[in-house]
Amino acid sequence: MSNFLLAWIVLIPFISSFIIGVMYLYSIKVARVPNFVFSLFGLSAPLLSFLLGFSFFLQMIGNDEIFLYKAYRWLEIDGYDIDMGFMADKLSIFMVLFITFVGWLIHIYASGYMKDDKGYGKFFFYFNFFLASMLLLVLGHGPIIMFMGWEGVGFSSYLLISYYYEDGENVKAGNKAFIANRVGDFGFIVAMVTMFYYAGSNGFDFLNLKESLLSVPVPVLTFIGFSLFVGAIGKSAQIPLFVWLPDAMAGPTPVSALIHAATMVTAGVYMVARFHFLYDLIPHVGLFIAYVGAISALFAAIIATKQTDIKKILAYSTMSQLGYMFIAVGLGGYSVGIFHVFTHAFFKALLFMGAGAVIVALHHEQNIFKMGGMKKKTPLVYFTMLIATLAISGIPPFAGFFSKDEILLTAFSSGEYLLWIIGVFTAILTAYYMFRLLFVVFYGKNYKEDKKLHFLPKSMTTPLVILAIGSILAGFIGIPELLGGENLIGSWLGNWKNSSLHVTHSTEIILMVINIFAALLGIFIAYKKFYMYDMKEVPIFTGIVWNKFYIDEIYDTLIVHKIKQLSIFISYKIDVHFIDKIVMGLSRGFIRSGHYIAKMQNANTRFYAFTMLIGISVISTYLIMVLR
Amino acid sequence: MQTPDITYLLPLFFVGVGAILLMILSTFKNINIKKGAIASLVFLTLAIVSNIYNLNTLGDIYSVYPFSDVFNNMIVVDTYASYFSTILILGGILTILIGLHYFQRRKEFTVEFFSLLLFSVFGMMLLVHANELITAFIALEIASISLYIMIGFEKVIDKRIEASYKYLVLGSLAGVFFLLGSSFIYGATGTTSIGEIGIFVSNNIDSNMSLIILGGTMILITFLFKIAAFPFQNWAIDVYDGASLPVTAFMAATFKAAVFGFILRLVLVDFDLIRDFWDDMFVYIIIFTLAYGSFLAIIQKSLKRMLVSSSIVHTGYLLIAFVSIGVIGENAASSIIFYLVAYFLSALGAFGLIAYISSEDQLRITYDDFRGFSHIRPYMAAMLSVFMLSLAGIPSTIGFIGKFYIFTGAIESGNEILAIVGITATFVSVYYYFKLIAVMYFYRSPEMTDVPPLKGIAPLVIAVIALMIIWGGIGNTLIAYFPGVDFLIDMAKLSYKSLFIL
Repeated sequence: MSNFLLAWIVLIPFISSFIIGVMYLYSIKVARVPNFVFSLFGLSAPLLSFLLGFSFFLQMIGNDEIFLYKAYRWLEIDGYDIDMGFMADKLSIFMVLFITFVGWLIHIYASGYMKDDKGYGKFFFYFNFFLASMLLLVLGHGPIIMFMGWEGVGFSSYLLISYYYEDGENVKAGNKAFIANRVGDFGFIVAMVTMFYYAGSNGFDFLNLKESLLSVPVPVLTFIGFSLFVGAIGKSAQIPLFVWLPDAMAGPTPVSALIHAATMVTAGVYMVARFHFLYDLIPHVGLFIAYVGAISALFAAIIATKQTDIKKILAYSTMSQLGYMFIAVGLGGYSVGIFHVFTHAFFKALLFMGAGAVIVALHHEQNIFKMGGMKKKTPLVYFTMLIATLAISGIPPFAGFFSKDEILLTAFSSGEYLLWIIGVFTAILTAYYMFRLLFVVFYGKNYKEDKKLHFLPKSMTTPLVILAIGSILAGFIGIPELLGGENLIGSWLGNWKNSSLHVTHSTEIILMVINIFAALLGIFIAYKKFYMYDMKEVPIFTGIVWNKFYIDEIYDTLIVHKIKQLSIFISYKIDVHFIDKIVMGLSRGFIRSGHYIAKMQNANTRFYAFTMLIGISVISTYLIMVLR
Repeated sequence: MQTPDITYLLPLFFVGVGAILLMILSTFKNINIKKGAIASLVFLTLAIVSNIYNLNTLGDIYSVYPFSDVFNNMIVVDTYASYFSTILILGGILTILIGLHYFQRRKEFTVEFFSLLLFSVFGMMLLVHANELITAFIALEIASISLYIMIGFEKVIDKRIEASYKYLVLGSLAGVFFLLGSSFIYGATGTTSIGEIGIFVSNNIDSNMSLIILGGTMILITFLFKIAAFPFQNWAIDVYDGASLPVTAFMAATFKAAVFGFILRLVLVDFDLIRDFWDDMFVYIIIFTLAYGSFLAIIQKSLKRMLVSSSIVHTGYLLIAFVSIGVIGENAASSIIFYLVAYFLSALGAFGLIAYISSEDQLRITYDDFRGFSHIRPYMAAMLSVFMLSLAGIPSTIGFIGKFYIFTGAIESGNEILAIVGITATFVSVYYYFKLIAVMYFYRSPEMTDVPPLKGIAPLVIAVIALMIIWGGIGNTLIAYFPGVDFLIDMAKLSYKSLFIL
């Protein structure tokens, strides 16, 4: 049995992060440790995990085996036992594969990006810790272990967002992400507790829950499903808890690529897919999820059209794409959702890394209207970015086309035409804002050539090429039947829900054409407006969209400000005038009494003996009274 | 295969023989403090190894009378006694390790001191192994008399001598009552053997129990004196404060555990059926003990006196569990045992660290002397904070788990009042424990840097204790196959069960 290797998929990055952490402390306290030592540990961990994951993948081909490894009993509370257990089914192994692979590429990229940073070791310490938490999240055999990974992911994301902690703004961004995530986590906890209360008696892991949830009444299930989804909203930045994601771009670009594009934000999607047995029982919550996803997708796409910060555009596009995934999983098309998670990981990581390369080349400039003409200067980056942009816009045969097409097909065939319309409209917007970015950055004429471009190391460009190949090919594992292919993801993950499509082939073709047309339309508009974009000055934007619908401000006035007022009231009124008086009065009284009592403690042996004898007399008197 | 009887007694044997050998060794000129310490450590280590060997090989629970034809069942070796012996020997080892620096700095300490320490440990071990009242008395006196001398060992300091005499006089006064109680019980039952008294009580439960109750009460008075409960607590502050810090650490950590070890055996085995009688008495004693200790602790300016006063409060907590034994004996008894371990670690750490800090000089005595200590010695300040947190019973330390078991035990057995009083005392305790933390971290330090740096074995041992405290608070089986709190609690439960298998 090689099941114990499952634990090592998680343990290797954990151990590596620990070693790096210790070495980093050594490095800042005692003697400098060269960067390549950190790289050696930092880069080998994801690769080893990937290889381990791949070995499990090979064992799974052709059968439905579920690997389960219970390392040891973690907690025993009155008959409820919680094991430190790892479970690998096809879903989690699939997640492991692309998390470790894309993660590994981003690690390589980061080793170039962070080369001159003095916290190089610290960065990889956090990075590996994050990876380990993410793997724990997908490999946990029950909600509790999953939650440990969930929290680890949130925590390391906090550390990474506020990585450049010298700037107070970044720390604030980290706080914001952490707090928004905590709100979501609360939902997860509530769901977990409720589940445990109603269905935890036969073992609190996914395999048992699948059975025991069947006997739970539907209103309770609805509550659980809803609360779980609140957790997913927090992690996956959907309405209304998305505000942290754009700010999270304060972290180094590899962080944005790894955490806020490829892995952490997909945790919510993964969770819904993982709890598919729950959501299958409550389709109405699923529909709600789908609508939240659709609205988030549209909303984010609208905001993205007016952003000027290259990373923020990508951040909003991430949120928008996550919305697509939620449409799919909400409607029961789990494999479709995971398919989009998979393709998205490639092209979004590529987009972020390309953006990072541009940012580095331009000496940390992030405003797209101060860029331009990058096509000539960095042809490789341009070329890979073009592939990624085509992929996200949904142009065949690039990866995004197939997965997005399937999502819209799912929406259409489920009879949710409104969702479909929103999806198509969002697709137009997506193509528009992505090509706007591409045109302005790579064709525009804004950049004043007063500075020499920063050199891009091989370690940064090689992953771009690999991911570009991935962005081209990733879609081919899910070619629709219509085109003579087979949805390998669907058949790999198994049909969780019989979502056989009730549409004819002709409808399917029409839908596909509509999608392509939508993408082309978006590209056309962008071309009209921004091709060879030339502007003497950076435009000043105003308006509701540019201000992101004032959501941050609304939250500030409605929630943050109100809580602050309450805090001020409690702190300056109730605390000072009420609580302090009681507490201080009590403590003064105590101290005064203490001084009286201390008189007994007069260091006089005769007196001590006397008090002892009094005590004995009292006890004896008591004895006489009782025994009589 | 029959285990030879001597293996059961090996721990006692090593400590006792070690004590005598050290006494002889101390007459040689070329045996210095360090060699003496090493020799005593060797004996104690042998003892603890043989003890753990017994715990491991004799099964989960066991109870035997070794050499019953010679000792006539006066000595029992069971899981319970072995568990306590482990704590006591560990206390001896840790005291030597922590205090070594201190002993070397002070000229008055000689090798005899270690001999006395071993005698004291021997006495305490004998006390928990004792299955007979007179044996217990002798054991108690061996432990006490060694302690009297250890306290007054630094003859040049008047305070030590005064403390020593005070303890001798008052201790003897209290000891008398033990003998008186024993003779009452012997008069009533015709035996002083612990198991047989119990059998007599259960056979004659319908007849008049007055004499036995009277005898039991007298024995309990000695017990209350030794653990410094109200109204027999006065000596504690003067004696503990008068003793040198390593001795205080040793007394605070081990002696209470040994006395509780014996009295729990006596009460659980013999007086199980008539125990209710003392409950009312104990309720008052506990309330007064907690209140007295708390009031005294919050006004102390000296750190050492504060810790000593608070040890009275901890006695109160332990007595709460002692009273709660009524309903769910297993939980309450094991909660006492667990709390003893928790307090043992925290007190040993706190006293030990302060001993280490003040081994160079006498400057750091009061709270004010610790102003800004964290800026001078951040690691020591952190460790002191851990000990304070644990003593105050803040979660994520072993002290919290100990208090948690005690208070839940009290509520389960219907003693809500005691739980409320205990929790109130805990609130108050936060004041005097956190005062040290606040002083260390939130104030600028005066110009004082004469603290010994972190080097040598003592800080290492203290750091290990601090880690154990935290591990005991959070650790379950968080790290695979590494024993955590559950292990200690399970052990405590097993040792409780071993009392009743003969």
